[in-house]
Amino acid sequence: MDDKILQIINTVLTNRGKKTLEVFNRDLRLRDDIGFDSLDLAELTVRIEAEYGIDIFEDGIVNTVGEILKKIK
Amino acid sequence: MNVLITGVSKGLGLTIALTFLKDGHFVFGLSRSRTKTIDTLLEEYPNKFFWTSYDLQNYKMVKSKIFKEFIGNKPIHSFVNNAAIAYDDLITNLSDEALISMYNVNVFTPMIIVKYVIRNMLLHGTHGSIIHISSISAHTGYKGLAMYASTKGALEAFSKNTAREWGEKGIRSNCIVAGFMETEMSSALSNEQRYRIYQRTSLKKPVDVNSVAETVKFIANENSNSITGQNIFVDNGTI
Repeated sequence: MDDKILQIINTVLTNRGKKTLEVFNRDLRLRDDIGFDSLDLAELTVRIEAEYGIDIFEDGIVNTVGEILKKIK
Repeated sequence: MNVLITGVSKGLGLTIALTFLKDGHFVFGLSRSRTKTIDTLLEEYPNKFFWTSYDLQNYKMVKSKIFKEFIGNKPIHSFVNNAAIAYDDLITNLSDEALISMYNVNVFTPMIIVKYVIRNMLLHGTHGSIIHISSISAHTGYKGLAMYASTKGALEAFSKNTAREWGEKGIRSNCIVAGFMETEMSSALSNEQRYRIYQRTSLKKPVDVNSVAETVKFIANENSNSITGQNIFVDNGTI
């Protein structure tokens, strides 16, 4: 699951012309560490929903990679 | 190009659907009921025209019925928000139920459809085009159309802001501001009302439905890729 999420995060980063991640851990913050802005987070939500059927932002804010993994497990 | 169009069973929506189909595009049409016209389209364009019944009063089932069941994982390149109710009366007679019902169909459900259209475009990386059919009544007052015109004004504001919010992702949003056409929507007008309305245009006649549909097609396709956040008037030069 971690690999798939890393792949999705990197797809979103690539689509915005941003540098992709090489290291990956659950404490990474989506905005401050990965550099996502609100449009990136929207695309991330859509891509995760297409893969796992869960809208991660539907009921509150998600700040870290670990929180995403908790929602989709 | 895959185009999602609401209100395809008659009037402008039907003409728009045919305009895309004749050019070889795929049309995903919505309307409340399956009419003879829908059956004919399904027969004539078996691999190009897809249809499902949806009542735009219902804003709760947009995701499940339209996007999961009907569209599935196919990319949508353009959404044409065409279906609308024209509730006309003097403001002093305003009925809250008719008003809410009209806002559901003209504004609230279309906004929720746009939510999922943008999500679809993000998933597929589509530089898509969202088109709302607005009305000249939002710009030039007509007696009895205040409530209806206000729904179109809402769409124009929503469209402008959609363009601003999603332009960076290559998603465009525009309104086609149509003048009065000879469709079922304006059939309740008396001949005298009609005459007065047409006298207020430069061309002194009803707006050609095909001209509106062709403009929609132009704004939907790549040739208009620098046009966004605009209201494009197809109104016979209303004065």
